[in-house]
Amino acid sequence: MDSRRDFLKTSLFSIGASAMLNPSLSFASDSKPPMRFIFMHRGNGLWPRVMVPPSFSDELKKKEQQKAAYDVDLDGHELPEWMNPLTKHVNNLTILQGLSGKMCTVGHHSWSSSLGVYKANERVSSIKWATVDFELAKLFPSPVEHIELACFPLGGGNARGSLDGIATGFSARGPQQPNYAFGSPRVAMEELFKSVSTDQATQVQYQLDRMILQFAARNEGATAQKLLNAEKSKVQNYANSIEAIRERSRKVDAMAETIRKHVPQLDPKYLDANVSTFDRQIGHTEVLLGALISGLTNVVAFTVDELGHSYTGITGIEGATVNMHDVGHGKTIAGVEAAEIRNRCRTHHMTLVDKIVQRLKSVPEGDGSMFDNTMLFYFPDGGETHHSHGFEFPFVILAGDNAKLNLGRRYIRLPNYGDQGHKTLGNFYTTLLNAYGNPIEHFGALDVGLNAYGIDQSGPIKELAS
Amino acid sequence: MRITFLFILMILFIQSLATANESANTLVIPASVQTVLNNRCIDCHNAETREGQIRLDTLDRLDLAEQLDLLNKAQDQLFFGLMPPPEATPLDDQQKTKLASWVRAELNSHNASKLDEKLLYPSYGNYVDHESLFSSSIPEPGYTPSRRWLVSPQIFHHRVIDVFQLEDRERTGFATRSFYGVTNPFILPDHSGVRDYSITSLDGGHLLVMLKNAQWIASKQIFAAENYGRDRNSIHYPDKQDRWFPQVTPEEFKEIIVNDTEPTESQLVAAINRQFELVLRRPPTTDEQNEYLELTKSTIRLAGKDEGLRQMLVTVLLESEFLYRLELGRIETDEHGRHQLTPHEAAFAISYALGDRGPDATLLDAAQQGKLETKEDYHREISRLLADQNYYRGQIDSSLNGKHYQSDVVSHPKIIRFFREFFGYTGSLKVFKDVKRSDGKYQNPGRGTHGTPGWLTYEADRIVTYHVERDQDVFNALLTSDKFFVYHNMPEEQGNQLLTEWSEVYERLKNSPWKTEPQKVLDENLEFLKERKGMRIVDNSKPGELVNYMHFFDESFGQGRKPFTRIPWSHGYTYHHSPFYSLPPTPSIGRYGSWKSTRYEGDRIELKQFWDYPTQQPFTIANRKGILTHPAWLIAHSTNFHADPIRRGRWIREKLLAGRVPDVPITVDAQVPEDPHHTFRERVEKVTHKSECWKCHQQMNPLGFAFEMYDDFGRYREVELLEHPDNLIQSGNGKSTFDTYKTAPVVTSGTLEGTADTALDGEVVDALDLIDRLAQSDRVRQSIIRHAFRFYLGRNELLSDAQTLRDADQAYLNSGGSFKAVIVSLLTSDSFMYRK
Repeated sequence: MDSRRDFLKTSLFSIGASAMLNPSLSFASDSKPPMRFIFMHRGNGLWPRVMVPPSFSDELKKKEQQKAAYDVDLDGHELPEWMNPLTKHVNNLTILQGLSGKMCTVGHHSWSSSLGVYKANERVSSIKWATVDFELAKLFPSPVEHIELACFPLGGGNARGSLDGIATGFSARGPQQPNYAFGSPRVAMEELFKSVSTDQATQVQYQLDRMILQFAARNEGATAQKLLNAEKSKVQNYANSIEAIRERSRKVDAMAETIRKHVPQLDPKYLDANVSTFDRQIGHTEVLLGALISGLTNVVAFTVDELGHSYTGITGIEGATVNMHDVGHGKTIAGVEAAEIRNRCRTHHMTLVDKIVQRLKSVPEGDGSMFDNTMLFYFPDGGETHHSHGFEFPFVILAGDNAKLNLGRRYIRLPNYGDQGHKTLGNFYTTLLNAYGNPIEHFGALDVGLNAYGIDQSGPIKELAS
Repeated sequence: MRITFLFILMILFIQSLATANESANTLVIPASVQTVLNNRCIDCHNAETREGQIRLDTLDRLDLAEQLDLLNKAQDQLFFGLMPPPEATPLDDQQKTKLASWVRAELNSHNASKLDEKLLYPSYGNYVDHESLFSSSIPEPGYTPSRRWLVSPQIFHHRVIDVFQLEDRERTGFATRSFYGVTNPFILPDHSGVRDYSITSLDGGHLLVMLKNAQWIASKQIFAAENYGRDRNSIHYPDKQDRWFPQVTPEEFKEIIVNDTEPTESQLVAAINRQFELVLRRPPTTDEQNEYLELTKSTIRLAGKDEGLRQMLVTVLLESEFLYRLELGRIETDEHGRHQLTPHEAAFAISYALGDRGPDATLLDAAQQGKLETKEDYHREISRLLADQNYYRGQIDSSLNGKHYQSDVVSHPKIIRFFREFFGYTGSLKVFKDVKRSDGKYQNPGRGTHGTPGWLTYEADRIVTYHVERDQDVFNALLTSDKFFVYHNMPEEQGNQLLTEWSEVYERLKNSPWKTEPQKVLDENLEFLKERKGMRIVDNSKPGELVNYMHFFDESFGQGRKPFTRIPWSHGYTYHHSPFYSLPPTPSIGRYGSWKSTRYEGDRIELKQFWDYPTQQPFTIANRKGILTHPAWLIAHSTNFHADPIRRGRWIREKLLAGRVPDVPITVDAQVPEDPHHTFRERVEKVTHKSECWKCHQQMNPLGFAFEMYDDFGRYREVELLEHPDNLIQSGNGKSTFDTYKTAPVVTSGTLEGTADTALDGEVVDALDLIDRLAQSDRVRQSIIRHAFRFYLGRNELLSDAQTLRDADQAYLNSGGSFKAVIVSLLTSDSFMYRK
């Protein structure tokens, strides 16, 4: 496979448009490539007990049971069976346990809580600030800033548009600003890769978008020209914003060759209206990879599932439509016990993670591969179980060698809720943001309940900072 | 008459000074200014002393940018009265004027003053000197700078409704719910006080949201025409969950869509004109018409007539004008250089001041007929619309709607919203509480509910509505009335009827074997019970419910008290907040067990003293006076864990006494130390009495301390729980039992300074004493008028608004305390009618 930098050289020099270089693409041999972040979250809770390697000693298992803090090198340990697809990536793997998130909405649905660290609900007014993925996207700008993909829920009090449409997602751009997510690989393909689409209708739509933005930019710019001082800025800001989108489009155009090379080549079954959940997830994974490798974005949020999503295509019971709420309540479906359904879904998710890591490892970048500059987080959006209380948010983390956190080949259990040194989701995201240049003192809301334990809950997790 | 130095500075501020050296690369310091600097400043700001890391001895040698930066700092210090420091000898008036005028002139001539921008922000409103506004002679007549004012979230929503031309039931329905494909791009800041100022700009976030909104709105505008003649069941919806569309597509659009032929130029022009009228409420200019015509022809060439038309609709929706209120004024000026609002602008300005909708037909007609020119014209229309009970009718705040209640519908929601913003009691919704500390009674906002603070906000709205609708002595009533609404779920007459029926049932059955043989009792008394409609018993299938009723009655009527007029086992019952008014509790939802069970629970649970519910409301609550003692306000002005005398005191200083409290300096770590042996007041006193802290805290603490009689949940108290592990007496399980701590008596004394009335200023016993005095103060009344000005004008007052404020104050006094009279006065003022 060609190196990513070669693509850029080819495409950018071919149009002689160095002025249009995207910041994220313009790293020269002496500068660093951007970091990429993938937030892959899922519904119905993630049980802390399934995260524990079976080869742990009785002493470690006892500590695990007591939820006492400890840190183990995974070298030589057997991973839980469902994580087997990650065996070859164990040097990049961290299993992080013990983060609490009681300041989030937990339980059946959590909306943007687990990414924003606040109590969110279906109301836009509950979005307090930008979610962590958007904060990271600001640090590593790219033409489309941020991409969100989702297997949308359609029931259970969290309906989201149509399964295949573009609807309110789980990330947030800022206070009261929900993001929009692509529900199907098909719609994501159409929207993200429309600049190089061979479909005539898509091309026409793309040209129309450009036409009205050009008109609006000229129109607002002319209005602003006639104004002075504060009044001028009231219109000029808007005109500049339109211009910024046009500039983004120009950058995407300038990358056309690169993008074209990385347009996901999806089997028609992934684009079909009746695509199963498992295949939808595979399709989204391909879109995610195409968008990252082509440089369209550096940050992807991927709602791999949510409690209100009706699952199809589960290994062994492909024909069954599985209500995840029933699974949460332990119901056996199509002869398969709920715990086993959970297991099969998790295993499938790990095959997706493996696909992402492997593919990124195969793309040369700098002295290594694109994966060196990537972090992937797999975690539950609602906490430790179906009816969780937010005591635990287990994380599977895959981090490349250039990640600025002290991660890799580790199993970490942080101090339990209420114990000295206990950490929250907010602490974890603060660590991440601080490591990459956002000096925020603390990201997220505080847990008022933790105050009773006299725990200082603000700031980063020093043990994870490299 | 007292002319303060701030007043001198304000005068300097509004004067155009042309004496500065306009084009020099560095500033030339006049000898007289240098003398002031040498004598009064350089001692502390030289190479050795460098107080505050500032040197003034090298000012003349710095480059221009550094000089201007330093001058901006100096201007701030002089304007905000921070320099010289209190311990130093103050500058005399001549020194002050010389220094300030030179600094101002230099900054102005280089267009570099940062103070001007700062003073536009809400937190700087009180920097315009109060005495100067109400006592001095200000020659300049009122005006508002010509402006674009970003629409509020509510106005935006109504503008979308207007684009779809929805009326009657459909309009009412959408007034309280959002459109499926429209995200409101606007959000007002969270702070207490007037929030909607005309200083904010559109930005990229607004644009991103509008790009999606415009696409959805435009698609819906033509959806009916695209499906013209089709049976509703055969319509294809791109999104099955999004099936709403306006039933009528405007004729001009429909004509293009339903005809198979290419649209003519005149059809396109008609469509463009129509979209301008719907979205921007005006016709396009000739240039605009031509430009849009070219655009539409291009989009049609590219994508066909339907999609091409839709793109034109989208583009008009993306005009920034759709998101702004334009108040630019006429071309011609008066003798003061002011432009009066055009009649069209005036119609919109008036309507958006009174509500969220654009003008009604009568107001638009007045504008078109030349009958919106004079103050009398404005007066006539404003009075008419204030008397109109329907045009602006709507919910006070639909975002408060939840599973258990809907915000009240009133004739003029915006008036209630002024008082909400002024008092800031909606801030209670943002303060999260540890539920265990409230004996399990407090419910934080969560999914689908705003919990306890939602109920309290809802009830605070009610008391505001009650006084606003009476419109007599409004400020005094809001500050001092000891009457409140709590739980009031039905009108008094209906409540009394219900209690009469319940009481009759209790009296008849109390000696029957209802505990042991409920089915038999139900069977024997079925007709009697069915006649009492309030019992909601229709047959004999629910003997368990009879047990619940009788148990409920036994704990109320049986104890000589009236029960609340809703049964606690009813679906969605969430009334648990009476303790936050320091009233007795009402039964919890599970107290009587399931109505499906006939088991009597009274033998297993302890008898409790529940609230004797008053059906006549508002009713008197002991130890409370007005909104400042309402639990919603008290919680809003608390921290998560403590009553906050600093926050409560600051609110009174800034909102009622027109005072100023600088923000916490960034070098200060504002923390109250933990100490298990002292009350929060004692700890605050200890940490803020250092001289560098007291300078600001003296403006707040003595006022806020009077409110120590209420805890952070708004409950009246005489002792404070010393909530520290060292003081734990008994640990609770957090569900049915709760931690108990040692206590210490609260001290509620405080000091009122700043009314400019010696009869009122002085020591106060507690919050009730303080409130009584505040309510009598002219300054407090005038301070509320100043905030009303900010709300209706969307900006801070200027000295040139002095007459407007005095007129509004006089209108209030002359009308016996009518807030509507204040509104009429403000909206017929020069400040409202003229732009410059």
